[in-house]
Amino acid sequence: MSQHLSSREISQWMMGERTPQQEQHVCQCPECGAELAGMEAALALFRGSVRHWSDGQSRAEPPAVGSILRARGSRALPMRWALAAVALLVLAAVPVYRNVQERQRQAEIARADALLLEQVDAEVSRAVPRPMEPLVKLVSWDFSATGGRDEKTGNEEIR
Amino acid sequence: MATSGSMIAAVERRASEIDDLDTLVRLHWLRVFRFALASLRDPDAAGSVAQDCFLRAYRSREQFRGDCSTETWLMRIAVNLIRDHARNRRLQFWKRAQTSAVDLEAVGRCVPDGGVSPESGAIARQQLAAVWNAAGSLSERQRTVFLLRFVEDMDLLEIAAATGMKEGTVKVHLFRALHAVRERMGRSQ
Repeated sequence: MSQHLSSREISQWMMGERTPQQEQHVCQCPECGAELAGMEAALALFRGSVRHWSDGQSRAEPPAVGSILRARGSRALPMRWALAAVALLVLAAVPVYRNVQERQRQAEIARADALLLEQVDAEVSRAVPRPMEPLVKLVSWDFSATGGRDEKTGNEEIR
Repeated sequence: MATSGSMIAAVERRASEIDDLDTLVRLHWLRVFRFALASLRDPDAAGSVAQDCFLRAYRSREQFRGDCSTETWLMRIAVNLIRDHARNRRLQFWKRAQTSAVDLEAVGRCVPDGGVSPESGAIARQQLAAVWNAAGSLSERQRTVFLLRFVEDMDLLEIAAATGMKEGTVKVHLFRALHAVRERMGRSQ
């Protein structure tokens, strides 16, 4: 292998994937060796800096188990209050909802009653029963068209 | 037979380790906290995630089948918690500005001065800043895989177990992360 490692091959090398040919090339090639050494050094420096930064934090010390449980409990407390408030709201809303539903139901009944009464009124105020209406039409004539005289008899309309 | 016996013993040992929350915290706190800190870059959030991680591990210890090490199992929980935390933080956009950014000056102080020229030290600090910046701009999965590999020294199979990804997927994310880091390092030179 005479060619230098490609960018892809260098990344693969850093992941631990390398062929014997590549290893041989890196041993013999100062350029590729320097490239890989620089990358490895930068990553080692990064690892060291993360650990250094983490170790310097006050929270890096393992806390007592009791404090973890308390912290967790105190975080859970607002959530419990929120859930309790929601439950109270739901409980308070149920009677209101039922009241509204009852009012709607009563209004519906009142509307239906009014409609029924209207229908009854209409039936009661009818001059002749509905089945006899065609017969009434057959025997009815229009006095206004004959000047108030009966066309068949010529008699004056009796008022 | 001896193999299955040793496997059972190992599982029992891990299970008993998880049963004792105090020991669990003492042995693994630093690693979980460090991973959370490197992922979130916020000491308070990292501490909170680490606490949640140990509590969740302790409370769900019955579900631990012992098919991986305790540390890998803790890391798996931490990965999920960090992901959830990052998502919540994205929603709380006003908190973004308050999140303590990494002080690269402070981080750069860990570059060893002894035996290197001022010029080499400056280059090393520049490279370090480039890696920090590149790690910060990686996608969530790439960053997780990158940190587990290069900060926590986990191998690909352990990372796969901790993240729930397939080994091939881990490789792809790690390759892309390394490519991005190398690109950033090249630009900083």
